[in-house]
Amino acid sequence: MDTSTVKVILQILHYLFFGYAFLAIVSYIILSVISGKETLEYLKKNSFVHYKDILSSAMSPSITIIAPAYNESLNVVENVRSLLSNHYVNYNVIIVNDGSKDDSLERLIEAYDLEKIDYIVNDKIKTKPLRAGVFKSKNPAFEKLMVVDKENGGKADALNMGLNISKSKYVACIDVDCLLLEDALQKMIKPFLDETDTRVIAAGGVIRIANSCIIQGGKLIDVNLPKNLLVQSQILEYLRAFLLGRMAWSRLNGLLVISGAFGIFDKEIAIAVGGYDTNTVGEDMEIIVRMRRYMEEKNEKYRVSYIPDPLCWTEAPDSYKIFISQRNRWTRGTIETLKKHRKIGFNPKYGTFGMLSYPYWLIFERMAPIIEVIGLLYFAILVILQEVKWEYALSFLVLSYVFSVLFSIIAIYSEELTFHQYKKKGTGFKLVLLSALEPFLLHPFILYAAIRGNFDYFFNKKKKWGNMVRKGLAST
Amino acid sequence: MIDYQPLIAHFKESPLLIQVAWGASCVLVTAIILLSIYLKIMRFHLRKKEKENAQFKNEYEASLIEYLYSGDTEGEMNATQKSIIQKIKVSVPIKAKRKIIISVLYNLMNEVSGEMSDSIKLLYYKTGLIHYALERLENKRWHIIAKGIGELTRFKIDEVHHKVSKFVNHPRSEVRKETQLYLVSLFRFEGLSFLNNLTTPLSEWAQIQLLETLQKFDDQQICDIRPWLKSKNDSVVLFALKLAQIYNQFEVQDTLMELLSHPKKQIRITAIQVLTHLYGIEAKELLKANFNDLSLEEQICFFGMLEKLVMPTDEPFVEKYLFHKNFEIQLLALKILKSINIDKYMGLSQTATTEKDSSMIKLVNSL
Repeated sequence: MDTSTVKVILQILHYLFFGYAFLAIVSYIILSVISGKETLEYLKKNSFVHYKDILSSAMSPSITIIAPAYNESLNVVENVRSLLSNHYVNYNVIIVNDGSKDDSLERLIEAYDLEKIDYIVNDKIKTKPLRAGVFKSKNPAFEKLMVVDKENGGKADALNMGLNISKSKYVACIDVDCLLLEDALQKMIKPFLDETDTRVIAAGGVIRIANSCIIQGGKLIDVNLPKNLLVQSQILEYLRAFLLGRMAWSRLNGLLVISGAFGIFDKEIAIAVGGYDTNTVGEDMEIIVRMRRYMEEKNEKYRVSYIPDPLCWTEAPDSYKIFISQRNRWTRGTIETLKKHRKIGFNPKYGTFGMLSYPYWLIFERMAPIIEVIGLLYFAILVILQEVKWEYALSFLVLSYVFSVLFSIIAIYSEELTFHQYKKKGTGFKLVLLSALEPFLLHPFILYAAIRGNFDYFFNKKKKWGNMVRKGLAST
Repeated sequence: MIDYQPLIAHFKESPLLIQVAWGASCVLVTAIILLSIYLKIMRFHLRKKEKENAQFKNEYEASLIEYLYSGDTEGEMNATQKSIIQKIKVSVPIKAKRKIIISVLYNLMNEVSGEMSDSIKLLYYKTGLIHYALERLENKRWHIIAKGIGELTRFKIDEVHHKVSKFVNHPRSEVRKETQLYLVSLFRFEGLSFLNNLTTPLSEWAQIQLLETLQKFDDQQICDIRPWLKSKNDSVVLFALKLAQIYNQFEVQDTLMELLSHPKKQIRITAIQVLTHLYGIEAKELLKANFNDLSLEEQICFFGMLEKLVMPTDEPFVEKYLFHKNFEIQLLALKILKSINIDKYMGLSQTATTEKDSSMIKLVNSL
C-alpha cells in the first residue's frame, strides 16, 4: 500500500469515529429532551391522582411480589419484613429460596412462624423441583407471605417458580434485598389500569442507590450521599440513565429493559412467552424483549411503561471488583439478548421496536465499548506513527469531556426539579464536582468491565453470574 | 501578565472545525459554570421554601382549627372566625400560600363531618378560594382544569355542577376522570347518569375510583343499571357488571344472561363471575349445555361457578373433566367431585394414570 492509500484509509476511519461520536451525542440530546417532556407530563398527570382510593380498594387488581433469595441469611428476615409492609391492599409475597446453602429457610421459618403446606405447583413453566416444599405462616399477621424452597436453578428459575405459583393478575419481580417504598405498588400498577386501548405488558421504575441511607424497620428514613466515590459515581450514572434515558424510551414505547431489581409484569403474557430464560445472565432484559416480540407478532397494541418516582432503593457495589463483575454480567446479558433476538433488528415488521430500539441498543450500547477500544488503539497507532493532529485531538477531547460534564449536571437538575431526594446542604456542590470527576472514576472501569464481558462471552462460556457480595441495607 | 495574543492569533489561524470545537467547549463551560451557580441558589431556595411552607402550614393549621372550634351552635359567624377569614383572605392571592391553605383545609375536611364540614365549605367561599378554582376551569391547560375540578370535588361544591359537567367529554382522559369523580362524589348514583352517553372508554383505574367513591355513602339505593349493561360502550358494560356484583343486583339476572353471548370475551367471563356471585342457576345449566363452545378461560370460570352452585345431578358432567389437561379445570373438577361424592372421589386413586394425577388427588384430599 502506498502512502496515499493509507492516508485515504485513515481519513475514512477519522470520519467513521467522528460520525459515531456525533450521532451518540445527538442521540443523548434528543433522548434527554424527550425524557424531560415525558417526566413533566407524568408529574402533571399525577399531581391530582387519588392514590389512596386504589390503596384501600378491594377492587384493585391482585399483585404477587416474587423475590428470589440465594444465601441471603444475613438480611432475609428484615428484607421480607420490608416487603410485607407495603400499603397496597391486594397483594401477597412469594419468597423463593433458590437452594440456598445457608440457613435462610430456617431463619424465615423461625421469624415468621412458618409451617409446611401441601401444595402442587402448576408447572406452566418448567423449573427445578421443590426441595423442602412450600411454607405459609401460622400467624395471621403474615398471611400474605409464602416461602417456597426449591433446588438451585438460578435467579430466572426462581422467578419462574414464583410465576407458576402466583394466582395474581400481575407479578412484581424484585430482588429480595431491595427496599420498596410503601406506595410503590399502587404507583406502579397505575399504568396498567390507566390504558384503555393498549395493553400494558410491563412497567418499571427508577432504581435509586440506598448505600449510606438510613433505613429503619424496612422503611427509608433519610437519604444520604455516600462517602465512597465509586458509589457516588454510580448515583450520578443512575440519575443520567433513568431520568434522561429510560423515560424517553418509555415515551417512544421503545424500552428494551426493565431493571431486574423491580418491575411489574402482566402475568398472562409473561407465562405465554415461557417466563424467564434460564440460559442467560441478562434475564431481565431478555424477558422484556421476548414479551415485546410476542405482542408484535400477535399484532396487538401494547406498551412497556416506565415511571420516574424513586420507588425502589438498592445497594450498589462499593468495591471495584464487585462493580466490574456486575457490569461484566450486564454486558454479557445484553450481548446474549440482542443475539438471540437478532431477527428483530432493522426489521420493519417490528415497528419502532425493530427499527429504533434494537438498532440503538446494538449500536450505542452493545457496540459502544468495542468502538471505544478500537478508537483508543487507533489513536495509539497514530501516536506511534506520529500522525496525530494534536490540535484536532485536543479540541474534540475537551469538547466531549465538557459535554459529558454538562450532561451529568442536566441529570442533577432533572432530579432537583422533580423528586429532590438529596436535600442536605452541600450535596449539590458534591454532585457537580462528581460530574467533573466521574469520567475518570467510573467510565474506565465500565469500559474495562464491558470488554471483559465481551471476552468472557466469546471465550469463557462457563462464566455465569459472578459474585455480588452485599452488605445489606439493614446495616446502612 | 499573561499575553493571550499568540493564543488568539493561533486560534484564528486554526481550521474552522477546530474553531467550532473550541467555541462549543467555551459555550458549554460557561453553561456549566452558570448552571452550577444557579443550582446552588436553587437548592438554597428549595430548602428555604420547604422551611417556610412547614411554618405556614403550622400557622394555618392552628388558625383553621381555631376557626372550626370557635363557631357557635346557631351557625352564625363570630368575631374570631371573621378575623381568621380576613387573615386567610390576605394570603389567598399568593399561589404558594393558597396551595398550603387548600391542602390544610382538605386534610381537615377529611377528618370532620356534618356542621364542621359545612363550616369549611363556608370558609372556602368566604376566603375567595372558590374563585381561583373556578378560574382554573377557564384555563386552556388540561391539567389546570383537572386540578380545579378535583378541588371543587374535595370541597363538595355542588353549586357549580353546570360548569363542571361540560367537561364530561373532554378530549383528555384525566379531565374526564376528574369530572366523573365530581359527579359521583357529589350526586352519588344520580351522578352516574354520565354513563348513558359515554362514548369514550372508562379505564380500570377510573372504575375503581368511582366504585370506591360510591361505597363511601350510607345510602346504597342503586338506580337501574340495565341500560348500562346493554351499552354499546364495552367499558360501561364492564363497570355495570361490577355494580351488579357489589350491589347484589339479582333483578338484572336476565340481562346478565344475555351478556353470556356478548362478542367480547372479557365481558362474557365477567358475566359468568357475576352470575356465580348472584347464584345464577339458569346460567349454570346454559353454560353446561354449551361447555364445548366456550373458550378455555370461560371454561375455567364456569368450573368456578360449578364449585359454588354444584348439585348432585352435575356429577356425570364433572366426572368427564377429572383428568382434564388444564390444571385449573382438573383441580376444580376434583374438588367438586369430592364435595358431592366422597366415595367415588376416594376410589379415584386407583384410576389415576400419572404421578401428577395421584399427587393432585393427594392435594385435594388435604384441602
